[in-house]
Amino acid sequence: MTGWKIALLALGAAIVAHLATIFVAPFVLMDAAIERISRDGTVMNQWIHPPRTSEESRRVVRPSPDLAYSACVYDLKDGPLHVTASAWDDYMSVSVFAANSDNIFVQNDRQAPNGVDFILVRRGQQAPETRGQIVESPSDRGIILQRRVAPTEERFAMADAARRDDVCDTIAR
Amino acid sequence: MKRALIIALSLLLGAAAGVGSAMVVLDNGQLLGQTNNDYWFGNRNAGSAAADPYTRGIVAKIGLLALNRSETIYFHRYKDENGEALREGCAYELSGGDLPTRWWSITAYAHDDFLPVNGQRASSVDATQVIRGEDGRWTVRMAADRSDARNWISTENAGAFSLSLRMYNPEASAREDESTIAFPSIRTIACGEGAS
Repeated sequence: MTGWKIALLALGAAIVAHLATIFVAPFVLMDAAIERISRDGTVMNQWIHPPRTSEESRRVVRPSPDLAYSACVYDLKDGPLHVTASAWDDYMSVSVFAANSDNIFVQNDRQAPNGVDFILVRRGQQAPETRGQIVESPSDRGIILQRRVAPTEERFAMADAARRDDVCDTIAR
Repeated sequence: MKRALIIALSLLLGAAAGVGSAMVVLDNGQLLGQTNNDYWFGNRNAGSAAADPYTRGIVAKIGLLALNRSETIYFHRYKDENGEALREGCAYELSGGDLPTRWWSITAYAHDDFLPVNGQRASSVDATQVIRGEDGRWTVRMAADRSDARNWISTENAGAFSLSLRMYNPEASAREDESTIAFPSIRTIACGEGAS
């Protein structure tokens, strides 16, 4: 094999490896976040309400110290999920991120002034009979994130109280 | 045998170079820039299912769980007014006015994309807490120490840092044409000893 053929082979391998890494990275990074947030998969399909964001918050990059975050790592293999978030008197949203990190759904307090309430189903999965809102996820696993503007200790305490009865739970069959 | 070894080695080297170059791209948040306004850069497809693989990869690396454009616009800034990297050893003045959005915040992040570890709890300013002048405009000191500033972002232990501007529920004009946004400006006050 001549030198230029070997160089061409190496170049081909470089291009394939480069593109594969770029393509796979969001899945790997989401998977790592899922593992961190769900404490290695032990806390799934339920809201987690972390303390106020600080320099010790290192589960997800670039956290905002002005927002109260809650996260629910979901796995739809056991069926659809019921998700609620109570009303808030400032900006609040609930968003869903698929396994490739795409933001596939978001609803805020203006769109849902009485609080957010929806059923999350796997695309192609039988949705339960409901008059409520159905959201389809293209992947079994992902992350649901709740944000409430709470830039002070006092506001954070209020947000923390407001979110305590929120639901993120598999619907009993 | 020797030929097979050469082929295997070239494939291995090529693959290593490919993975390495991809990691360099993913680690460089500034490559995300699709729009650039006085060094504030953003990408219209951040968080969107329409994002290309590079945008999706970089956003996952430096801003995982970013909301899509219909909800929030994000901008990042790594440079001062002269195009020099923002760094802990300098003191800066960040100033601006109302932004065309329901709520905004500006946060400083250390090189590792997390809040600087300095115990100050002063990594950001937001629309509800920033102290404004009579004309509605605001000024924030970005430095390791507060001095006598009314608004302060602590950059102590931040090293080479960056800023993220979040605009939640932006007005339609801002979503459609970012050049209409009056972006906050940065002025370098001093660098080196005495800068803090």
